[in-house]
Amino acid sequence: MTSMLRIATATLALLAAATVAHAADPVVIGLEIPLSPPGDPTAGQLIRRGGELAIEYINGPMGGVLGDRKAALAVQDSQGRTESGIAAYRRLVSEDHAVAVTGFFHSSVNLAANEVAKELGVPTMATQASASDITGKHYDVAFRTHVIDPVRVSAWLDFIKAKNFKRVAILAETTDYGIGLAEETEKQSKQQKLAVEFMTVTFDHGSTDLTPLLLQVKAFRPDLLVNIGVGQPMDLMVEQAATLGITPQTPMLVSYDAPIRPQFWQLHPKTGAGLYFIAYYSPKQKLSDAGEWFAKAYEEKYKESPVYSSLNGFGDVLIIAQAVNQAKSTDPKAVIKALETGTFKSWTSSPVTFPRADGVFFHNWSPPVLILQYTAANQDWKEASVIVEHAGSAP
Amino acid sequence: MFTTELFVQTLIAGVVIGVLYALMALGITFIYSIVKMINWSMGEFYMIGGYLQYLLIVEWLGTDLWWVAAPLSAFGVFLLGYLLEPLLIKPMFTTAVERKDDYAIVVTIALLLMLRNLAAALGGPYQRTPGSNLPTVMLGPLPESGARLAAFLCALAAIALFYLLLKKTWLGLALRAAAQSRIGAQTAGVDVFRLDQVAFGIGVGLAGLAGALLAPVFMVFPTSGVVTTVKGFEIIVIGGLGSIPGALVAGVLLGVVESLGASFISAPYQNVYGFLLVVLVLLVRPTGLFGERTRQA
Repeated sequence: MTSMLRIATATLALLAAATVAHAADPVVIGLEIPLSPPGDPTAGQLIRRGGELAIEYINGPMGGVLGDRKAALAVQDSQGRTESGIAAYRRLVSEDHAVAVTGFFHSSVNLAANEVAKELGVPTMATQASASDITGKHYDVAFRTHVIDPVRVSAWLDFIKAKNFKRVAILAETTDYGIGLAEETEKQSKQQKLAVEFMTVTFDHGSTDLTPLLLQVKAFRPDLLVNIGVGQPMDLMVEQAATLGITPQTPMLVSYDAPIRPQFWQLHPKTGAGLYFIAYYSPKQKLSDAGEWFAKAYEEKYKESPVYSSLNGFGDVLIIAQAVNQAKSTDPKAVIKALETGTFKSWTSSPVTFPRADGVFFHNWSPPVLILQYTAANQDWKEASVIVEHAGSAP
Repeated sequence: MFTTELFVQTLIAGVVIGVLYALMALGITFIYSIVKMINWSMGEFYMIGGYLQYLLIVEWLGTDLWWVAAPLSAFGVFLLGYLLEPLLIKPMFTTAVERKDDYAIVVTIALLLMLRNLAAALGGPYQRTPGSNLPTVMLGPLPESGARLAAFLCALAAIALFYLLLKKTWLGLALRAAAQSRIGAQTAGVDVFRLDQVAFGIGVGLAGLAGALLAPVFMVFPTSGVVTTVKGFEIIVIGGLGSIPGALVAGVLLGVVESLGASFISAPYQNVYGFLLVVLVLLVRPTGLFGERTRQA
């Protein structure tokens, strides 16, 4: 009897110790980002900065998660490849025990990870991946806080109509992002019955020489060249189009916000002026108090103004922490329910929700889409002219 | 869309890029002809050449002195190869390594991974460019960037100098002797191990020169050598392993086929056309266009 009592006491003590240890474990939020080519590592680093500052905010001004627990960030490199992305997601879930995985930049990676997330049940949140199917497939686990293809395309069709362009050349990489945007452009232009002739040329993301394709584009004599490359192909196209004399006579629109990054002018000191580009954040936008905290902390730490990638990386990690608090649990199903039903604070002054809306807007919150133009070399992106301002809603 | 002007422009673009590919491939084929091994890390030496060019121009020389920086970068890569060879490659001959080919594959792939990750760790994952002040030049109907044209002309000059080195110097004579018969050269008193060191250095130096010349054209980043490695191996298969004229002809052929295919057939399959050419050559002439059958005891 005495030995039974001893065994029972020892067992209870062990269980109590395990519970205390578990309760003290940080709540891990996974960040899956491209940190090496062929992914866009600049984007990955910027998102990471946002994620790391979010953890500081959560553990500092926000007071932690689930009472007294700290938040922690686990980071994995997707390399911009689907197979690496799947492996990274699995590691974050099974080894790091992440309650959710965010940071996705490349659509291909996000789409692939979502297929695994559907099985493993840990939610994903796209930070800057825009392919429609990411949320269009209506997976319970998939969420997004970024512009989706239909909205982006709607913005640049507004731009095309406003400028009265009649011949538009689209050079798109053969990724989910590139093909998705090219197809959506075709679809919306038909729906709107636009009197615009499009020439679409696709290229492999790993191409190092776009000269043959650009020669074809030059022969087409477009009024506008839409650059749907990400990372190195985008930069190559900016340079090689200038060499062939396509730009600056024919304006170029870059499909995402790479030109706002500090390194843009180092790579394109002579070819960047006159470029149009998509952006998702305007300095005129009002930030939330968390956004203000982030902007100040970012400028102190990195000696430069924050850009959208960092802002949204910050916002996504913060949203997940709030969802865990609202769910009062780290259980993935509870976190998903909280994300669907809750209202969250992010970097913008407007609250973020993820309704079970129709179509591609399912589980989606979108910032506004802007089209900016650099009017001078070495121009600060905050001084760039705002040509189009499009709400982040359905076309 | 097909027009004569477009065809000529694409052809010229293909020849220009082809000569640049050939410079990359020359190093691979030269190392094979002397050391009798495939160096799978050639792309990384190309990448190092690009980084050296970037550093020399941005930190010391300025954009206008690119023509001073390029040979310095090539020499830097030569030195790196010269120092690495006794550590990594020489044991293949001096120790009891039974399966030399497997050893070479393992060692050079390990070197590839190490150099690539070292570049990412030291330089970060970002793209960089040394820039160029050279103006755009008209090559017939084709506007060509000054940097790319300069790279093309320097590549031709480097190939010509390399040819003269092999044909007109004592070093070249020793290298040719070793390529024909290592044992024969050794019997004649040539220090083949020292020759291997020099040959390895020269081979990677050629790749480094290609990287330095192309840094303002294709930018520099840790994996910038990946595509060049693939192109290099396509070229040596098409041209023939160990054949220097073969590397030049195959490089131009590959550049032209890819350009014309991307322009007039289908752009997304630009890289596939090169592989189709490889398959065709293997079917018709398995030793390559300029390769020779060899026998091993």
